[in-house]
Amino acid sequence: MAVDFEPRIVGFLCNWCSYAGADMAGTSRITYPPNIRIIRVPCSGRVDPLLIVKSFQLGADGVLVAGCHPGDCHYTEGNYYARRRFALLRPFLDYLGVEKERFGVEWVSASEGKRWSQVVSSFTEEVRKLGPRKSAMPQEAVL
Amino acid sequence: MNLTEEVGTKARELLENNVVDCVIGYERATDGVSARPLFVYQPEETDKLIFDQTCTHNLAKYLLDRKDKVTGIVVKPCDSRAINLLLSEHQIERDKVFIIGVVCPGIVETGWNKTSEKLQAACELCQQHTPVIYDHLVGEPPISEPAPEAYPDVAGMEAQSAAERRAFWEEQFSRCIRCYACRQVCPGCYCGECFVERLDPLWVGIRIAAGENEMWNTMRAFHLAGRCIGCYQCEQVCPVNIPLSLLNRKLEKETLEAFNFQAGIDAETPAPFSTFEKDEKIGIGE
Amino acid sequence: MARIGVFVCHCGTNIAGTVDIPTVLEAARQMPMVTLAEESKYTCSDPGQAAIRDAIVENRLNRVVIAACSPRMHENTFRRTVAAAGLNPYLLEIANLREHCSWVHGDGAKAATEKAIELIRMAVAKVARHEELFPKQLPITKRTLIIGGGISGIQAALDVAGAGHEVVLLEREPTIGGRMAQLDKTFPTLDCSSCILTPKMVDVAQHPNITLRTYAEVKEVKGFVGNFEVSILQKARKVDHEKCTGCGTCWQKCPEMVGSEFDLGLGKRPAVYIPFPQAVPPKPVIDTEHCRYIKYLQFMEEGREGKPPPQCRICEKLCPTSAIDWEQEDEIIEEKFGAIIVATGYKPFDPKVYTELGSDRYPDVITGLELERMMSASGPTGGEVTRPSNGAHPKEVVFLTCIGSRDEQRGRTYCSKVCCMYIAKHAIMFKEHDPEVQCYVFYMDVRAVSKDYEEFYKRAQESGATYIRGKASAIRQEDDKLIVRGEDTLLGEMIEIPADLVVLAIGMEHSPGSADLAQALKISYDTNELFIEAHPKLRPVETMSDGVFLAGACVGPRDIPESVASGSAAAAKVAALFSQDFLTTDPMVSTIDAMKCSGCLLCQAVCPFNAIDTQVLRDGRTVSVVNESLCKGCGLCVAACRFGAANLRGFTQQQLLAEVTSLWQ
Repeated sequence: MAVDFEPRIVGFLCNWCSYAGADMAGTSRITYPPNIRIIRVPCSGRVDPLLIVKSFQLGADGVLVAGCHPGDCHYTEGNYYARRRFALLRPFLDYLGVEKERFGVEWVSASEGKRWSQVVSSFTEEVRKLGPRKSAMPQEAVL
Repeated sequence: MNLTEEVGTKARELLENNVVDCVIGYERATDGVSARPLFVYQPEETDKLIFDQTCTHNLAKYLLDRKDKVTGIVVKPCDSRAINLLLSEHQIERDKVFIIGVVCPGIVETGWNKTSEKLQAACELCQQHTPVIYDHLVGEPPISEPAPEAYPDVAGMEAQSAAERRAFWEEQFSRCIRCYACRQVCPGCYCGECFVERLDPLWVGIRIAAGENEMWNTMRAFHLAGRCIGCYQCEQVCPVNIPLSLLNRKLEKETLEAFNFQAGIDAETPAPFSTFEKDEKIGIGE
Repeated sequence: MARIGVFVCHCGTNIAGTVDIPTVLEAARQMPMVTLAEESKYTCSDPGQAAIRDAIVENRLNRVVIAACSPRMHENTFRRTVAAAGLNPYLLEIANLREHCSWVHGDGAKAATEKAIELIRMAVAKVARHEELFPKQLPITKRTLIIGGGISGIQAALDVAGAGHEVVLLEREPTIGGRMAQLDKTFPTLDCSSCILTPKMVDVAQHPNITLRTYAEVKEVKGFVGNFEVSILQKARKVDHEKCTGCGTCWQKCPEMVGSEFDLGLGKRPAVYIPFPQAVPPKPVIDTEHCRYIKYLQFMEEGREGKPPPQCRICEKLCPTSAIDWEQEDEIIEEKFGAIIVATGYKPFDPKVYTELGSDRYPDVITGLELERMMSASGPTGGEVTRPSNGAHPKEVVFLTCIGSRDEQRGRTYCSKVCCMYIAKHAIMFKEHDPEVQCYVFYMDVRAVSKDYEEFYKRAQESGATYIRGKASAIRQEDDKLIVRGEDTLLGEMIEIPADLVVLAIGMEHSPGSADLAQALKISYDTNELFIEAHPKLRPVETMSDGVFLAGACVGPRDIPESVASGSAAAAKVAALFSQDFLTTDPMVSTIDAMKCSGCLLCQAVCPFNAIDTQVLRDGRTVSVVNESLCKGCGLCVAACRFGAANLRGFTQQQLLAEVTSLWQ
């Protein structure tokens, strides 16, 4: 477990809450580790499990999905469905050897800039401690 | 009357009275020991129908090819759950199926020219001996209530470390040859264009390699989350003996614990991914 | 073949101070399909935007990546820039190098630069897969249906009509006016309720833009915002309102008297009737359950044995305009609307579940609304409050608050808001009428929250009403008094008060049929069958269904000022909707590939906006189809679809996968 390894983390953030919360961390100039690469989605409910599994298969050491707090979804219900899907996907991936600490699901509101930075920091550290995902050979037939 | 006779008699009656055009059941295969599916169209041919502990196949899948015709079908309890699944997903219509449900004695390990008295691993753990949906019941339902579903096989896997599990599944998936027999035999896998066949987006590359195999098996299992009805034919047909039931049963266990839901018990209860409870605590974001 | 232009913004020193721009530009130029990469001090400025426009034209770019601040900041700005250069505005992607990079990794310039390059790589991979998107324009039928003719519906109707649009005001009772018409005086002003309400009712009847349909209900609603198709059931009145002049001869002479619904059974009305004198329209309906001639007709039709009932028909004989029409049948009327306002009001709570209070055993235990009818000058007792048991004037009146409200076991859990105030009003009015009357109020808390309410409550106390903190546990009859037994919690004692009259401060509940109406309109309702707003704080008059708005107590208990305000607010929303000539849809909506769809309808189940319908293809298969006017682009259907049939424009599966994959290229 190399402690100087830099985890590669893919983030899926919903436009209305968590992406805005991450923006707020920016406007507040709060620093956090640079390992995360954020992909904007309209809602955490848009995140297809295929994307999560593909991220890990390609070599992501960690995947972090962030959405609105339950009850606050901009589309009223999206995060409830996301919660259900990930409630099954997370233990399933853990069962397959992708430790559950590598797949994070967090609710971050648009005003929680500080919280976002804390979430990313602790998530990055957890993944760093676990070490690289040791993914399969990189795939070639990618468009 | 034994099960074979009862099935044959009912099938004959259905065909003679034109209740159905066809009865899908089992017959003895040409090796003389195992079973194979049989499509019976004439009452006379119902003599060929059998039912015994070699009848491993889940015939419900064939109903998807006969959506506009009225069909009789012989089902075990797990197969009957598949019918409920297809009904709830609007793939078949109830009035187009006549279900001959059989109280299942358990299926033995079977294959070409293979005889055995030993029950299949899944049948050892099975808690559902009476079909959950039927128009005619063959066999006597057991007197005692089945025990609650237990997953000792899954628990055994969970007890290992992540690294051990990782190594185990890497080894298993490395043998996968992407023949897709598991998909072809599964009644829950009826997508016109399976995600693995899609080129745009290319979810699974064409190479037969560890990463792609892992992607295939993981996502097929996940597409069956809350839908796998536990016939485990996938495992039966896998030519390289990947223990696929160990994958699906993990999701069955999680679905049962998180949502108190089992696929195919009836055709009305909403599927877990089609609904939610606002305040449910299921281990995400808490 | 994509020709992508990458424009990297310095944002002054906000980005350039941390991220090494030349390195980023070099890296960008190597990325697949990138034709050029340029930098700019402030891309959002006029010269910055001009440079982008020029570059697009000169280099025949067909995709643009702007690596700058958050897309939540300037996406719309840059869409306009790109459109001005002749490119579809959706062929743009923004890489967030500021809020998500330079501003949060200021302590590590190398890492920030590497991250910036990767963020651009992701944006390039995504934009290469962008397609032109075109908003659709849908026509709007600028007519509004308002369901419910109480004060909220009336106000909404007047405001929408005043804004210049046609309104159909639908009311299932024979008259508009709702609950407010049943009240005597209103708190805190003690205005006569009818006096302030009836002018508005008359305005509604006379307004050229308002069509009043009373004794009518919604049967079916199809369509969506701007294009609703509503089937209205016009119930048969058996009176031709075109001919009727409202002279009143028929109802004065009708011999069949039944309990009046308007007077809550305290008084009687004839079978041909108007509910109250100031009814609008002031034209009667015939109650076919109790009309003697109708009963005769049914007797004859069913061929029953024995002597037939009398034929009556007095109303028909006396009507000077021959307006009685026994042939009249229920009618279905189809109308088109662009917006619907739901203002179906409330029903008073029925206190009979509180058996210990005896509201159905003791005639002198009455509800607050029944007291209103007695106090009303045009009510069943001519404005005299008398004991129903013996007609005497009550000298000792006990009020019990929170009946049916704030009760987890037998009533509703919520507070009905208005009861404390109307009890205070009743106490004041009793005292003003007869200073000898003793008023006792058993209360839990007194809620006097709006303008002048606290002062009004003080007035009730000063008028001599005795407020006792506690609940009543039982009422029993002793001789001709009702003994109210309760607890005075401040003294810590049980007390018993002999009362002539007990008034139960009943709460507000949903109107009958709310759940059915909600389902017809595809709006949500809660466990109390109250309709749910789009957002309880910020969108109190809208629903999750575009084009359907809410007003008044059907959303939750509220007083008259709030009901009026919400009626006007809903009208404002309608006016805003109708201020455009067309509805412009957001093009970033879902699509469903009918060839891949298997008709499992999981997408329909998860869609929060009911934007997914079914269609039957020519080969007989039933598949899902997206209603693009209702789709909000959340993408739940995409993640739910195992078949890969659903996709979301602007965030397609291909685009998101490309972003992920680009991180390993």
